[in-house]
Amino acid sequence: MNCRMEPIQREQIIAKYLSRSLDSDAVEEFEGHYLGCDECFDELRVSELLAADLRDSPGRSQSNMAWRSTEGVAVLQFRNASELTHAANTLDDLRREVLEQPDSRVIIDLGRVTKIDSAGLGQLMSCYSHLVRNQGGLKVVNATPEITRLLEMTGISSLIPSFTSEQDAVKSFRN
Amino acid sequence: MDLSEPSLERLRLKLRYKVLYHVGHGCADVDDLVQESLARFIRAGQRQQIRNTEELGAFLNGVCRNVILEYRRRMRREPNLDQDMPIPDTGIRPEAEILEMRDAIDNGLAELAERDRAILRSLYLEGREKDEICQEWNMSDAQFRVVLFRAKERFRRAYGPR
Repeated sequence: MNCRMEPIQREQIIAKYLSRSLDSDAVEEFEGHYLGCDECFDELRVSELLAADLRDSPGRSQSNMAWRSTEGVAVLQFRNASELTHAANTLDDLRREVLEQPDSRVIIDLGRVTKIDSAGLGQLMSCYSHLVRNQGGLKVVNATPEITRLLEMTGISSLIPSFTSEQDAVKSFRN
Repeated sequence: MDLSEPSLERLRLKLRYKVLYHVGHGCADVDDLVQESLARFIRAGQRQQIRNTEELGAFLNGVCRNVILEYRRRMRREPNLDQDMPIPDTGIRPEAEILEMRDAIDNGLAELAERDRAILRSLYLEGREKDEICQEWNMSDAQFRVVLFRAKERFRRAYGPR
């Protein structure tokens, strides 16, 4: 084995060594190499650390979002105060939650969303496009005055209307 | 051949890793096997029996493999009759030292997107091929590289220069 090999190729060998899926000849070759190569041994130890973390945390802790259904409309609510910003994990979660659920008529309760940036607005639009393509729609409720103003300023509120009550938002799907 | 104390300590750490990989954490004789491998290696060096000094790792690996094989043969001939002997555990498991390091990393991988974690799990825990993973997640080699090295960087900082 040559430690000047492509790093991704080396990582593949390390991963197989750690998961014990290397054949015995390859194990011998790799061990013969790392016993004489500090760089590869350090990489092995770092990967071991990473693998241990993956093993001990098999899934993300409970999602920060919860779904319920009101008169046939799916309502997504945040459990805790959240930000829909580039730096927050919530963005990926939001997209996954909306895209993976079967309903195409969706209300997002923004009551616990404290901040939205351009990435967050983009994600809302991405959810909207997906739902409209599936003959549905997206509305938001309980947005803070700042977020409501932002939705209006960017023109997004003409596509994703904002309501102060969930009941009104549900009703708007019937019109 | 560098036989300075830091160099020997480094070799001991590597040998211990290899020995644990093969005999498991339940083996009470790990340190003896490491010491025996190191002693034979040093003796061979002093007697100038190592012809190719470019391949010291491969030589040391051969020495350690022989020590482990001899140990296994001896254990088969003289099985331990102690009922309280721990059940051999051959699963790879990080040692306390490395677990402590992991605790020093803020949130470990918790901050990573679930998709990235699933990709890393496929690679490190399931031993799947990179190409297969890229195909499943519809990602390029470059995207795969970013996921992998971003995650490793978090741990590399904690591991630091050893």
